[in-house]
Amino acid sequence: MTRLLREHAEQQYAAELATLAQVDDRPRPPNWKLSPWAVATYLLGGTLADGTVVTPKYVGHRRLIEIAVATLATDRGLLLLGVPGTAKSRVSEHLTAAISGDSTLLVQGTAGTSEEAIRYGWNYARLLADGPSPAALVASPVMRAMSEGKIARVEELTRIPADVQDTLITIMSEKTLPVPELNTEVQAVKGFNIIATANDRDRGVNELSSALKRRFNTMVLPLPETIDDEVAIVQRRVADLGRALELPAEPPALEEIRRIVTVFRELRAGVTIDGATRIKSPSGTLSTAEAISVVNNGLALAAHFGDGRLRAADVASGLVGAIVKDPVQDRVVWLEYLETVVKERNGWKDLYRACREMGG
Amino acid sequence: MPSRLVLTGDAFYFAQWTHSVYAMKPDLDAAIPELHILGVRHHGPGSARSVRRALERLKPDAILVEGPPDAADVLPLAAHEQMRPPVALLIYAHDAPRNAVFYPFAIFSPEWQALAYALTHDVPVRFMDLPLRHQLGDLVRAAGDSGEHEAGDDGIAAVAARDAPPESPGSHMLFPSLRSDPIGALAAAAGYSDGERWWEHMVEQRRDDAGLFAGILEAMTVLRAAAAREPLAPSMQRREALREAWMRRTIRQAVHGGARRIAVVCGAWHGPALADLSGEADDERLLADLPIFDVRTTWAPWTYGRLASRSGYGAGVESPGWYEHLWHTSAASLSPSETAVRWMTRIARLLREADLEASSAHVIEAVRLAEALAALRDRPLPGLPELTEAAEAIFCFGSDLPLRLINERLVIGVAMGTVPGDTPLAPLQRDLAQEQKRLRLPAEAGSREYDLDLRKPTDLDRSRLLHRLTLLGVAWGQLQRSGGGKGTFHEVWRLEWQPELAVALIEAGIWGNTIADAATACACDMADRAEELSVLTGLLNQAFLADLPDAVTHLMARIECEAAVASDIAHLMGALPPLAGVLRYGNVRKTDAGVVAHVVDGLVARIAIGLPVACAGLNDDAAATMYRLIIDAGGAIGVLQRAEYQAAWHDSLKRVADMRGGHGLVMGRATRMLLDAGMFDAAEVARRLGLVLSRAGDPVQAAAWVEGLLRDSGALLVHDDGLWHIINNWAMALPAETFIAVLPLLRRTFATFAVPERRSLGERARRSNEGSRPGDAHRTGGDFDEPRAAMALQVVTQLLGIAQL
Repeated sequence: MTRLLREHAEQQYAAELATLAQVDDRPRPPNWKLSPWAVATYLLGGTLADGTVVTPKYVGHRRLIEIAVATLATDRGLLLLGVPGTAKSRVSEHLTAAISGDSTLLVQGTAGTSEEAIRYGWNYARLLADGPSPAALVASPVMRAMSEGKIARVEELTRIPADVQDTLITIMSEKTLPVPELNTEVQAVKGFNIIATANDRDRGVNELSSALKRRFNTMVLPLPETIDDEVAIVQRRVADLGRALELPAEPPALEEIRRIVTVFRELRAGVTIDGATRIKSPSGTLSTAEAISVVNNGLALAAHFGDGRLRAADVASGLVGAIVKDPVQDRVVWLEYLETVVKERNGWKDLYRACREMGG
Repeated sequence: MPSRLVLTGDAFYFAQWTHSVYAMKPDLDAAIPELHILGVRHHGPGSARSVRRALERLKPDAILVEGPPDAADVLPLAAHEQMRPPVALLIYAHDAPRNAVFYPFAIFSPEWQALAYALTHDVPVRFMDLPLRHQLGDLVRAAGDSGEHEAGDDGIAAVAARDAPPESPGSHMLFPSLRSDPIGALAAAAGYSDGERWWEHMVEQRRDDAGLFAGILEAMTVLRAAAAREPLAPSMQRREALREAWMRRTIRQAVHGGARRIAVVCGAWHGPALADLSGEADDERLLADLPIFDVRTTWAPWTYGRLASRSGYGAGVESPGWYEHLWHTSAASLSPSETAVRWMTRIARLLREADLEASSAHVIEAVRLAEALAALRDRPLPGLPELTEAAEAIFCFGSDLPLRLINERLVIGVAMGTVPGDTPLAPLQRDLAQEQKRLRLPAEAGSREYDLDLRKPTDLDRSRLLHRLTLLGVAWGQLQRSGGGKGTFHEVWRLEWQPELAVALIEAGIWGNTIADAATACACDMADRAEELSVLTGLLNQAFLADLPDAVTHLMARIECEAAVASDIAHLMGALPPLAGVLRYGNVRKTDAGVVAHVVDGLVARIAIGLPVACAGLNDDAAATMYRLIIDAGGAIGVLQRAEYQAAWHDSLKRVADMRGGHGLVMGRATRMLLDAGMFDAAEVARRLGLVLSRAGDPVQAAAWVEGLLRDSGALLVHDDGLWHIINNWAMALPAETFIAVLPLLRRTFATFAVPERRSLGERARRSNEGSRPGDAHRTGGDFDEPRAAMALQVVTQLLGIAQL
């Protein structure tokens, strides 16, 4: 059992990746660990010729993953768009893990991300002592990816200030990173590419310049289409995470997951599943990822404070916390939902009571 | 009621899928060397190309095409230089044109290419399917029975009229089976999700057609054998047998005619059945005593929108625009990669037209991505899904609007065909074509907006034409709005031609031979059947707009008739304003207003007589309606400016005002109108006001009366001295306690005025009570500095852009 809190994709699925690499006899683009077909199989899951079962990492349209892989194979940047919690980062991590075998070349975009984070910085002690030299240079993940022919990830691209974003233009079009201080440059090795993620809702924060936009292929990751898809995603991820977090509780009952997903989908869509009642939507996204964390939270409660089985009471606190993001508006939305939908529904009495006790 | 159209072809048009070309030597007669059966798909550029190639290679001396032999007369027009597909053969029952069948053809239809080859190479060509004159009745009945639930709201039934084993229109949607979707079965066996993809991939995009046919022919024979085990409704079975028998008979006739090398272009499903020409006697027995219907045939323009399967056309294809692109690029012998490049370039140009970002660099990347996607999916070439997905990733940046535009304008396409001028047309069609030419109002597939200025003769004629067509139920144009901000002489129309309009037009042919005649006859007929006055006046309005003087005369007579017996004064009053408008302002449309005057005479007289009775015993709702009607009718009569109307009207109003126990609202308004007209003086109105508000009166009615007198008149009360003084003097004259008693009643009306109005009223009341005298408001002038005012005036004129006088 690993001591790590969370393993990287390439560590967690090392066995699958190794088998895929062994079976894969299709041509691989330069510096790719797997062929594009194998990458798609790794993400979407399937059974290999030798009987190895590859677990799906992304549940959704096959064509989305195909577009993503084809984009990377034509060395265009890939921009994943979507509301929070639609597996953008997950897809990007698994793609880099499968293609480069390394998902750690990561730049987290924030309002404070500087050019150094994308290009290079300096080791100032050495810079002062010896003057500019390659040894004093601190390479950014992007620079390392360029020199090693790997894929760099940029998370939350639109949160990065516009002038810093634009440093990516040269990197992506000329595939080079000049270092004027040393009168040299780092030229990208084949296999280099960038996967960026951006939040649909943040688009207004720092809209990409059209020059940069043009260098990315855009792919919108949608929310899961059907309730069954979503339940399957939640169940799989909860099992994964539960194992990683070493929760002693029993795996959650499918019914409980289905209830949580139902609540999320109904509030998100603003209408009950049967299409009969209109309800208000809260201010948060209520993504699948949040549903997963609600179940996990409930599992932890059940394991440590309950009887080890996931019950409505264990879920209630997480549920209320995930839904009520704005203490005034969302509270009204939630209480209305509780009184008009949850209360009336057959077999949901326990959930209703648990939520009421939370004072939701 | 939905028109009973029948659209030919169906989704499984089985033979569409196959592409078998095989030669055999039927042992019918030693003199017949060859019979070549070319199995095709209905609309498929790959099939079309292969048919064309096969014909060029075979050089047949007779070509038989699966299609309605009824169209033999108009067949040569297919090669006419003005003929531009997409067009459709339109076959309709002479006595009931709404029973019609369309056979659409696109440039990439194999049948069209076969016809074009035959006609340009002087090879005798014939249609060989069971003629519609023998089956139209059955088809229409079938469409009526089961087609409509599939047809959706446009009322078109997709009926398997020309091919395919499932002769049950509509049923295939419900019970997909080997019979109903044989290609689906083949595709499923090949690991594809649907037949369309499989076909697209295997045939339409195939560059090399050698070797394909043998395999498919084999599949066909197996499929036919397997399908024979599936039960089929007897009527369908019979129809299929009849059709194949007729096809064999046509082949035999060609053989007897001396043809040595016959090419048959048909659905491959029928291929095996046509190969064996023995059993002539059985066929003839089967074909004896068929019913005969009187049918007419013509060509009609068709659109890609209607060719698309989403329009409900059973044999439709998903992407006519894309197929045309494939056809043209392959006809120009462009390399496969150029097909993708050109497609992407067209997308980029389309997006640029719509002011969306799409540079050449985008095109390059999109083509690369599409090719990478195709490689990833083990396809030899990028197909439409790959191209669309690549376009989505590169051009759309997370928005689906550009994609919708691409789908609408390119993938489906907005092309509309034309037919030659000498196509046999129904008289109405011909008349419309002439009018369209004269008025430069072409029939177009896409929707387009026209802003007509009725002061211009051409625009006026256009408007008349469109109104006439609307009367006839040919919904080519939709009136978006008329008048509006731009004055009464504007009309905005949205025009969109639909192929079915041809049928509507033929159907309207029962009314007459020109559009004007037909519209007149149709309007008169509707007038005779209408019983309600409001329907008649609506119709009259339409007839005026359409400029149909004869219909107007007829309608006037009808309206007079109905008005004479109509007991509902409200109806008469509702009819008056539009007529008055016509009478007063009719000259924009140059209509002869003389006929109207007579009717208006009668109307006014009847209204004047009936009004007091109609105002008796109204409840609040009815009074509110009557209040509005009185105001409108009063306005209309005012507009007419005829002393005798005025006199009658005022007399009538006076009787309303004097009524005992009438509704206060109506009586108050009548009083007010009489005051405005100068029939009552201020003292009289003040007296009546006092009377109504006296203590013995019913407070509710009193309040209503005041409301009738003053509603919506807050601003007027501030500025109109006459009205002001009536109210003011009356109020001033009240003893204090009476005033307090009537205050609640007054408040009900005054509370409806806007706040600023009430404030001005209050201020005015204070001023007048502080001693200013009546007429103060008029005492202006003298108090201001003329030269300073003149300086300001100069700037104001400049600001307003008025020339300095």
